Amino acid sequence: MKELPFAGVRVLDLTMMWAGPFATRLLGVMGAEVLKIESPRAWDNIRTLVPQEGIEAPWNSSFYFNYYNNDKKSVTLDLAQARGREVFLELVPHCDVVIENYRADVLENLGLGYEVLKAAKDDIIAVSMAGFGKTGSERANVGFGPIIEQMAGMASLTGYGDDGMPYKTGISYGDPIAGVSAVGAVALGLIRRRRTGHGCFIDLAQRETMATQIGEAFVVASLRGEEPAHHGNRSPRFAPQGVYRTGGVEQWIAISVRTDEEWDALALIVGATQLDGLGLAERQALHDEIDGYIERWAAEQDAQQAMEQLQAVGVPAGRVLDTQNIHDDPNLAARGFWVRLPHPRMEPWRQPAPAWRLSEANPQLRRHAPLFGEHTRAVLSELLGMTGADFAELAALGVIGDEPVNPGVG
Amino acid sequence: MTDLVLDGVRVLELGGGIPAAFATRWMAGFGADVVRCEGPDGALTPEEEVYLLAGKRRVEASGAQLLELALRADILVEDGRPGHLARLGLAPGQLQKERPELVIVSITPFGQEGPYAAYAATNIVSFAMGGIMSLTGSPHRPPLVNGGSQAEYLGGLNAFAAAVSAYYGALVQGEGDWIDISLQECAAGMLELYASRTEYTGVGPHLRSGNHVSAVWGIYPCADGYAGVCCLGRQIPAFFRVVGDPELEEQRFVDPLERLANDDELQAKLYAWFADKRKRELLELGAAHKIPFGAVLTPGDLLENESLAERGFFDAVATPAGVARMPGRPFPGLPWRAGEFHGPGADTEAVLGEWLGVRA
Repeated sequence: MKELPFAGVRVLDLTMMWAGPFATRLLGVMGAEVLKIESPRAWDNIRTLVPQEGIEAPWNSSFYFNYYNNDKKSVTLDLAQARGREVFLELVPHCDVVIENYRADVLENLGLGYEVLKAAKDDIIAVSMAGFGKTGSERANVGFGPIIEQMAGMASLTGYGDDGMPYKTGISYGDPIAGVSAVGAVALGLIRRRRTGHGCFIDLAQRETMATQIGEAFVVASLRGEEPAHHGNRSPRFAPQGVYRTGGVEQWIAISVRTDEEWDALALIVGATQLDGLGLAERQALHDEIDGYIERWAAEQDAQQAMEQLQAVGVPAGRVLDTQNIHDDPNLAARGFWVRLPHPRMEPWRQPAPAWRLSEANPQLRRHAPLFGEHTRAVLSELLGMTGADFAELAALGVIGDEPVNPGVG
Repeated sequence: MTDLVLDGVRVLELGGGIPAAFATRWMAGFGADVVRCEGPDGALTPEEEVYLLAGKRRVEASGAQLLELALRADILVEDGRPGHLARLGLAPGQLQKERPELVIVSITPFGQEGPYAAYAATNIVSFAMGGIMSLTGSPHRPPLVNGGSQAEYLGGLNAFAAAVSAYYGALVQGEGDWIDISLQECAAGMLELYASRTEYTGVGPHLRSGNHVSAVWGIYPCADGYAGVCCLGRQIPAFFRVVGDPELEEQRFVDPLERLANDDELQAKLYAWFADKRKRELLELGAAHKIPFGAVLTPGDLLENESLAERGFFDAVATPAGVARMPGRPFPGLPWRAGEFHGPGADTEAVLGEWLGVRA
């Protein structure tokens, strides 16, 4: 039985919110032992960001928190206290990776910068994920995913085209991009350590990883000095291309025609046969008229059947799946993408399986997100040999805790 | 041996579109010998070629030579239709039998298997089927695809991270793997809180809300373009102090639930406040008061950005059309090389010589 790629790797995880936890979730699913460190006083706000009325210990029952934190262990440690910092530094030699996504100055303010971590373990792989990095004149700026998207050039490329307005992506797009990139950084750090024996410090800036996703726009800007043009849902390369309303409530289908053959097939279906035989340039010129035919056809169709009908004749088409019907998509269902993971306090619901399908190692969601501080004693006992007396001392100081202090603060 | 992390690592890219080309782009920068075997013409625009192929060697090979190249690679990446490798005579099972440590990554819109495996897609179709599109755009207009080719880049990014992770696993365990990446799944697993909220609470689908999740989380027109703010509860007091409107101290704006109930009124106030602010002023206020302000910057703006220049973000690459500047190392901390841009097939002879010992 083949092991997962990160089997045997232990990660000290100081990340919170989305970007960092998305990275460490992937590390955990891919076999790493992830120790999620939270202070009883400064804990991952995602736990209570969406208020849930009338739920006991809501910080343990958040669907939002659970979505990003499966396959991790929860260890409480207040790093702002000297004793907490000391215990943390005793853990570092037992770990391979330290990862954090605080504001750029926070780790240094806690006295836990890379040099301190390196002194505790010479070959430590340290990954920081601040919005704008730890160097550079904009390092003091703060931001969440949408701010990252704006500051990386991404939002400037998105828009309907007729009003000059940029648009945000509907999710905090900078976060998961930084998260997946950080997993790549950890893997490269591990490869380097295996080859050279050296650790490293990765100063990932979320703004930079986001900007790598639109690299060709920088080529255009630097070679031709052109400002971004908004194409709405159209494309300079494919026509017709658009998103068309179908029957049902707020149901839409995306259609994108690459070739003359695909256009002739689409024209037949939407009743635009008087326009078949048009080449790309002619289809671009008549795009509004063509859209009229497609819109009138699509309005009478069921979105799923329309997609299947178009795909059957080779026309690229896909439903605009929403947050509800994506859970019932036949393709994702057949591939076992949605998984009901048991949880001690919550009714199981469908969560996404790893998108990395290693056919032999076969990564799976294995365990729900940990309860707050669930593994504090087990981990400190296993790695540092601590006993009941130690835990009593740490608990009395508030360095460890079984529930958050100020649980209402979000 | 240089100090590049992937020095000596051989990567074969069976060229197609953005997903495979982006997956191997960072491998080249971090030192791997990335050989792109050309695919169909026109799969990439000239600008995409410059960005995605810099640092790679480009060959033309097929049949027995292609098989020989694949058997000398450490990592093989492709984004053809499902079953592409088998049709080329490179069935993953056969390759792994001869070379167990090989890491193979296949990227498709909907996965190697499943009812949509044969479906055709461009970026907008993959983006629609991954769920993010339903959340993007104005509520008064159709759902909107975001800029560039994000569904395809997302697949490439995941393929990169998965490939180097599996390569690390292969170094330790001696065995690679075949990784099936679906663009639909890459997106469907990152729907922020919206998918899990819909599924867990049964509230119905969350639909697009334009540029505002709420008044304190959105994009506003400003004096020299567009700017944004994204505040969590703990950052709102500092934000409201900077705005300086005494009404914002009233309970209806201070209490989180009442504030949401009065979101339209708050947005109106903030539209007015942002209207005469300049981007630079907002970014300075943000840094000074730890308020998450942003500015909508263009790639042209960023090419002139001091902070990115200080951090050495951009590579300069010579192309037939002049020197292009483009994002280079994704993160500092590991040695990186800005690659040269080669024309199609330019390296066939050199690569066949070095990898296969073939002399022209």
